[in-house]
Amino acid sequence: MNYKYKDWLMQIAFTFGAILFAMFIGSLVIMFIGKNPITVYQSMLQFTFGRSDSIGAILFKSTPLIFAGLAVALSFRVGLFNIGAEGQYFIGALAASIVGFSLQGLPWFIHLPLVILAGMAGGMLWALIPALLKVKRGAHEVITTIMMNYIAYSVVHYFVADLFLDKAQNLPKGYGSPMVRMPKILESARMPTMHDFVGIFGVEMPRYIYLNWFFVIGILLAIAVYILIWKTPFGMEIRAVGQNPHASETVGIQSKKVYLKTFLISGAIAGLIGLSDLLGYIGYMDTDFPRGYGFTGIAVALLANNNALGVVLAALLFGFLRRGAEGLQAIEQIPMDVVVILEGVIILSIVVASQLMRRYFKTQEKKREKESQKTSASDGDKEGLENVE
Amino acid sequence: MLNELFSPDMMASAIRLTIPILLAALGAIYSERSGVVNIGLEGMMVVGAFWAAWGSFNYGPVVGILFGITAGMVLASIHALVTVTFKVNQIVSGVALNVLAAGISRFSSLSIFGMATTSPHVSGLPKMTIKPLAEISWLKPLVTEFSILIPISFILVGVTVWVLKYTTFGLRLRAAGENPEAADTLGINVFKMRYAGIIISGAFAGLAGAYLSIEHTGMYVEGMTQGKGYIALAAMIFGNWSAIGAMFAALLFGFAEAISLRRITTLVPYQFIKIIPYLLTIIVVSGFVKKSDPPAKVGTNYERGEG
Repeated sequence: MNYKYKDWLMQIAFTFGAILFAMFIGSLVIMFIGKNPITVYQSMLQFTFGRSDSIGAILFKSTPLIFAGLAVALSFRVGLFNIGAEGQYFIGALAASIVGFSLQGLPWFIHLPLVILAGMAGGMLWALIPALLKVKRGAHEVITTIMMNYIAYSVVHYFVADLFLDKAQNLPKGYGSPMVRMPKILESARMPTMHDFVGIFGVEMPRYIYLNWFFVIGILLAIAVYILIWKTPFGMEIRAVGQNPHASETVGIQSKKVYLKTFLISGAIAGLIGLSDLLGYIGYMDTDFPRGYGFTGIAVALLANNNALGVVLAALLFGFLRRGAEGLQAIEQIPMDVVVILEGVIILSIVVASQLMRRYFKTQEKKREKESQKTSASDGDKEGLENVE
Repeated sequence: MLNELFSPDMMASAIRLTIPILLAALGAIYSERSGVVNIGLEGMMVVGAFWAAWGSFNYGPVVGILFGITAGMVLASIHALVTVTFKVNQIVSGVALNVLAAGISRFSSLSIFGMATTSPHVSGLPKMTIKPLAEISWLKPLVTEFSILIPISFILVGVTVWVLKYTTFGLRLRAAGENPEAADTLGINVFKMRYAGIIISGAFAGLAGAYLSIEHTGMYVEGMTQGKGYIALAAMIFGNWSAIGAMFAALLFGFAEAISLRRITTLVPYQFIKIIPYLLTIIVVSGFVKKSDPPAKVGTNYERGEG
């Protein structure tokens, strides 16, 4: 028991170490363009916490990242890499917006759930092909899902620019060309913002903050995924296959079935990533729909050590970073893409840190069991799966 | 329609588009033969393309190409450090490098050129023309005004075959990927071999990126690699981890891309023609074409067994 408490502390220490290291690299980048990192970090903090609208903005920015982190973390749990969350949420958003503008005359309590289901179905469909190719043909899911991402961009472009282009945009004469977008999603399918809700507590959120109920759904989903993984028989199968698919087979778990099911659930969650922006903010699908959440989801999942509740915290951290980066762009004229560099460095430093931590624990364990002379010969082979745990 | 598909113009375009895939695939062979999966090829191409454009913009195309190669090698060194020394999962490291490369290029492009998605126009190497052959009309598009990197790339195929098959270095590199334990007992430094394999692959990917920006396009454009790093991995798999095989596979992908860039028919929406290379990649890695035979220990990090 005492050990477990210590392990937790170590884990937190290593995580913070990795974040600090990423900040150090960030400082080098800032120095590279001739700015002082200390004043830059200072103005980042001042911008983020000196303004009353920041909390809402951070929560809004972290909403898609919660879904993205959950989708990736779930696939990591079973030992697969869902690098395709990117394409899955594009198709999910496409399906959601088609249902969102085409079904007319429904009350919101039917229409909105239908649209959300359509998003999940779209994501699931896009995950189905790589999942089937994985279990039937042994095709590596990393390459197939990345290819599916590119195909998704093309398919969405076709639907937006050709098939469902909104031709009913009546612009006043001489006011530019119509936008390349699909028809607007009906009011009955829009996700309400949380302005009224936070108003009950006397908090006034500015109109231009689009924090909506998907944030709450994200947190509930994180709890659901946590329960799925740790408290259900299926979750036990996921963890068993993730640890060692061959050993799981010998105790009667059909690892292929578990792969397939988990990957589909991961895809369904990924289908929700874009909906906070689509239904809570933009209101239509266009060719500039936000990209890259799927990849940030990988950073979120790794930072959270694939723990569903940790995903929420990690998503909040990235939401904070993105908010701060906006401030940097406005005040210090530093491109906000510095945050993408930070994301990459955080992924690398967190995986290196957890590897070092594993080594540390291993030597500790060896010390404890010195007399029993336990050897761990088979470690090298299972590297791949152990690492993403 | 078939005439158009196999016209000399089309062939020339296919070969131009083959080069980046071919170079990255050759790089992938070195890395995978040493036992390390390099999903980060895409990112190495991206930084190669950007820094080559920057180098060419300031100091001319030759320096530009050297910068591109160096940038690829720097990113590859990180991959080597993280996977070989720290024994982090090779896929995770590669994916992280791709994220990092995208961030670095966009950030640098904004800071240096003041534009997020493109660089100014940069000059390439002098173009080559084979005069006597250019007289023949159906050969003309193939032999006029082509980049010198095109013949160099095909020469590098031969070099790769020779290095892997006939040199001590190549033998040791392959041993590190096939049976690291045995290699280790024979006194081969597996870690050193894997570092070498990864960094060589970074050099190739950087050169591929340099070709894209300063030879093929004449500027750096964000997202110009379009997944070619991953397609190169598929070409390498399709080519069964051999340089000659990868060359033919790369030609196939180059041809598919040449088709996807042309609107041959209006029957199919062009967005669906654009996905041909990606579909082909999925088909190839799903082994629908033939069974593949990867190096035995590719993807697993090597740890010296300690008692």
